[in-house]
Amino acid sequence: MPTVRIALAGNPNAGKSTIFNALTGARQHTGNWPGKTVAKQTGRLPLNGYDLELVDLPGTYSLSAFSAEEIITRDYILDECPDVVVAIVDASNLERNLYLVLQLLEMGAPVILALNMIDVAESRAISIDADRLSAALGGVPVVRLIGSRQVGLDDLKQAIARYIHQSERVRPRWVLPLPESVAAEKSRLQSLIEREPVLAARYDAGWLALKLLEQDDDLLDRVASFPIITAAMAEAVERISAATGEEPDTLIADLRYQVIGQIAAQAVTRGRAEPTTRSDHVDSVLTHPVWGVPVFLFLMWIVFQITANASAPLVDWIDGVINGPVVNWTQIAFNAAGLGESWLASMVIDGAIAGVGGVLVFIPVLMALFLVISVLEDSGYMARAAFVMDRFMQRLGLHGKSFLPLLVGFGCTVPAVYATRTLEHSEDRKITAFLTTFMSCGARLPIYVLFGTAFFGASSGTLVFAMYLSGIGVAVLTSLLLTRVIYRNKPVPPFVMELPPYRLPNRHTVWLQIWTQTRDFLRRAATLILAASLVIWLLLALPVGRGGRFGEVPPHDSLFGSVSAALAPALAPAGFGSWQATGALITGFTAKEVVITTMNQLYVGSGAESAPDSDLGSDLRAIAIGLGKALVLTVQEIANVVPRTINLLPGVALPELALVPAGAADEAGAPQLQSALRAAFTPLAAVAFNVFVLLYVPCVAAVSAMRHEYGTRWMLTQAAYTLAVAWLAAVLVYQGGRLLGF
Amino acid sequence: MTTTLRAVLEAFQVAEAPLSLGQLAATLDVSPPLLEGMIEYWVRKGRLREAGTAGSACAACHQGRACPLIVKMPRRYELAAPGERAPEPPPPCGCCHS
Repeated sequence: MPTVRIALAGNPNAGKSTIFNALTGARQHTGNWPGKTVAKQTGRLPLNGYDLELVDLPGTYSLSAFSAEEIITRDYILDECPDVVVAIVDASNLERNLYLVLQLLEMGAPVILALNMIDVAESRAISIDADRLSAALGGVPVVRLIGSRQVGLDDLKQAIARYIHQSERVRPRWVLPLPESVAAEKSRLQSLIEREPVLAARYDAGWLALKLLEQDDDLLDRVASFPIITAAMAEAVERISAATGEEPDTLIADLRYQVIGQIAAQAVTRGRAEPTTRSDHVDSVLTHPVWGVPVFLFLMWIVFQITANASAPLVDWIDGVINGPVVNWTQIAFNAAGLGESWLASMVIDGAIAGVGGVLVFIPVLMALFLVISVLEDSGYMARAAFVMDRFMQRLGLHGKSFLPLLVGFGCTVPAVYATRTLEHSEDRKITAFLTTFMSCGARLPIYVLFGTAFFGASSGTLVFAMYLSGIGVAVLTSLLLTRVIYRNKPVPPFVMELPPYRLPNRHTVWLQIWTQTRDFLRRAATLILAASLVIWLLLALPVGRGGRFGEVPPHDSLFGSVSAALAPALAPAGFGSWQATGALITGFTAKEVVITTMNQLYVGSGAESAPDSDLGSDLRAIAIGLGKALVLTVQEIANVVPRTINLLPGVALPELALVPAGAADEAGAPQLQSALRAAFTPLAAVAFNVFVLLYVPCVAAVSAMRHEYGTRWMLTQAAYTLAVAWLAAVLVYQGGRLLGF
Repeated sequence: MTTTLRAVLEAFQVAEAPLSLGQLAATLDVSPPLLEGMIEYWVRKGRLREAGTAGSACAACHQGRACPLIVKMPRRYELAAPGERAPEPPPPCGCCHS
């Protein structure tokens, strides 16, 4: 059976490997290209009495000598002379893919054009006339394919079979139309090449002449031992540059793009319903130089309204379950074991359950945040946000790319610090990493929600939004300080960004994001936060000074209480100079969620009921009824985001939806920690405390990341700066508020 | 004569604010896919660079485009100074090597 060599060529992501796999099935062999680390895939396909040997060439955008992949592809076609080259192109991105096809045709390769992903093109209202495309390319066979669904593979096989039988003389030949000045020089060089038997035997003289005019590095090396040709080439390049004012390689590449534009005009029709066009209309508002930033801020306001308010009923429900039935059942279990009054029971209930439980109640808050951010990201909006904020970044003297690490910082400061690696210059990286800590991380969010719902009820979303804005504000001021004083402003290069069309978010993608992030949070709760809870409990159980027994000492007289009380006066000017608040902030250095853990242990844990009167059946019924109520209230809160947003307009007072009567909504009472906080803080002190939490030293993991990336000195500078700024801002808020009469 | 390719490069040089691919394609009267190809040409020539991946700090990371921190952002291109060498990348980051 005669062997026929078929090469598959194409751009990366054009679906080449999918088609290769579909054609060859299990008849594959994987190796490396000689002397290269690039993988070589070969396979076999019996067809009409022939043994087809298929080679999957590396994906490339062109056949210049830019990369190993390009050289491998070019050399294979030049040296191995495959019987057919199947050029696989992404039909939804035809113009970009045609550049490689033209270069294959210039080489004289026997090309079949496979228009892959026709379905994707059609979904974008792009219609390609295969006959016109074939005619524009000098009669090259064109086959339509959907490789992922194996549609059109038989047509491709038939086209290959026809091509094999076709006489070489009748095969199509396409030549790049050149302007006179270039054509004459190419012709001169071509005739010199034809006079060199070594070169003429290996290369198509016309193609080599054109590549030499393009100053192809690899081919220049290969003709270096032919001085007549290299001298003629140098003169030709000079003459073309002088005549056209352009480098010949750019001129020739531009000709190819012109031809591609003409071919597309003949063969491609773009429908009016193309999503890109609709996206452009939406973008005229969302990426507007003036309106873009307010729209972004407005959307963020909605995000925090949904995050803080809509999740509140479920937060209350989980809190009720943990501090009610879970604590009761645990206490009953200890009582049954005769350990009801032991330090072990205290450690589990007041330490582990109060600590971890205090953080777990905020899972609905985080899930709501992950949900809205995932929806914005998957819809294509976050790319626009990056685009809009770039201008803003540049005004601050920051590189536009700083937006990415700063955005990541709203999730967690640790990856944000690592994400500064995407910036090229060390100064940009250091400044951006310095600022990431002011982007309020997800771990701080539960603290704002806790205080917001305790002190401001339905307006808690506004407090959360204000905190995020304040963080951005401090970052702006710090950035101005760093870029104008310490690191002098340097010009920021402009850029062009690809904006993907808007689309409906994919629910699987969104769910995956939510689940991944929530799972990480739960892991953190089960490890770091649990460990921190137990350490705090231990420090609270250790007596100092006036004595007392382990586990029975009043919190204020414990080791933890003594240290906190010693530092508390420093925070008194900010309105929260109690040892409990100070202690919570100290433990927040471990992880910001631990602030709540500590508060729960200090304000609630020791006061938890230890004489439960619990019945499993009625507890489960109460849990189920509570969940139902919480879900109804969640719907109500989501719906009420609309009137609350519109009510921001002066003189507007739309009524809010009330699915559950107000009395019934409050039936369960406020969570214990919130009640305790209302007794311990004034509203003004609560705001000042939140400002301090927002700005002070990030958690130990973030500080370590900073040291890992930028050294101890920069880490200490950031720690000292954040501590000073946090204290100053909290004092300003508290004292300023008092002066204003709050 | 000014070629369209040269006009693409000049658009980067004179831009005072970020541009979207669609905006630039409309300005130059070419389709976005064709413009992508033209930008790719200048990237190969070393006059433009794809920011955030090739030639950047992320070049050191084995995850490259698969990095969860990178795929969130769309592709963006910016001017590269002629003959400019890519800065020395820092060691691989912890976030991608867990």
